[in-house]
Amino acid sequence: MCWPIVLVGKDSMTEDFYLIAMTALLPLTAGLLVSQINPYHALVIRGILGAISALIYALFGAADVALTEALVGTMLSITLYAVAVRSSMSMRLGVLEETPDADGSSIGIKKRRELAPLLANLNPVLTKYHMRVELLTYPDQAALTNALMEKEIHGTHGLSESLQIRIQRLHDIIQAELPTLGSTYIDVDRVKQQDKTV
Amino acid sequence: MINIASHVCFTVGIIFWFWGTFPLVGNRSVLFKLHSLSVSDTLGSMVLLVGLWLKLPQEWPLLLLALISLAIWNTVLGYVLAYCSSGEGQHD
Amino acid sequence: MNGLLIAMILALLIPIYEAYQDEDIWQTMLAFASIATKTAMMILAISVVRDDWMIGMVGVLILSLGNASLMLLAHILRRMNLEEGRSYD
Repeated sequence: MCWPIVLVGKDSMTEDFYLIAMTALLPLTAGLLVSQINPYHALVIRGILGAISALIYALFGAADVALTEALVGTMLSITLYAVAVRSSMSMRLGVLEETPDADGSSIGIKKRRELAPLLANLNPVLTKYHMRVELLTYPDQAALTNALMEKEIHGTHGLSESLQIRIQRLHDIIQAELPTLGSTYIDVDRVKQQDKTV
Repeated sequence: MINIASHVCFTVGIIFWFWGTFPLVGNRSVLFKLHSLSVSDTLGSMVLLVGLWLKLPQEWPLLLLALISLAIWNTVLGYVLAYCSSGEGQHD
Repeated sequence: MNGLLIAMILALLIPIYEAYQDEDIWQTMLAFASIATKTAMMILAISVVRDDWMIGMVGVLILSLGNASLMLLAHILRRMNLEEGRSYD
């Protein structure tokens, strides 16, 4: 081991020891990071990895690299990734907007009441895969079908008896976990192709 | 003399650090852990900074800056974390 | 001084273990907050050992900016948890 001695300038055993102990923290946290399943936990542990790597860069005298790691690697990239993970790990479900009842109950309450059993089934399953449901309302069936064909949403509820899902993987998950809910897979590209040829 | 004083500061600071960090392991609530962390961790860090100051007096502006930012930011961070972690149930 | 740094490394291992074993995201955030402060303090200690003004400056900046990034992340996580809670009822 000659490089730490050159860097530190003093040749004592304990200095070598703490240098090596600190450097060993980096692979340790990196191992923790790749072993995480939950994406949000992985983000926070990425922050820990950033803090420790900044420490090691400072330890080896690279003050500018340490500052960049703390500012860009920890602060900026974590924030951006949190926003990206939050918006990408969601299932966009299109539903029909209901007309108000005769008794005058508002749209929101009625919709929520009708969708409650579906969401109560769907939410625990999707939470297991670290996803969430995002509801989008459409005024009529034509608009809902159009949104599905234009890939604005991942699935629809209310067009037929079952859920219509256009993502194969999502369909597989729902089919496996909730067979009673019933979901049909729709290959949007193929449907479009058929429409063109007809 | 100053050397001994700085070493006392280091020892006290490290004891505070361990005292504040050990409750982190265990099944207590977030607020309990946050309390021990914000009190004795910050206090331990400040005592360590005083010890470093005694060790190397010519770097005092830097260490004073660190002391002030530690005192202000860690307190604010404690409030923000407590607010964010306990506000989950409410809808605003 | 070397003993101080080794004790600091040992203190740093506790929140790392906590971040590894806990399932709750807020407990992991607490561990992150603890680690951010501790690493900044270690950088300052190293700057005093080496008598290096530049590293000390970086330590102070990391100490104040790391806390700011933590607050940002905490608010984003809070928004996310609120949305999750809303879709349940």
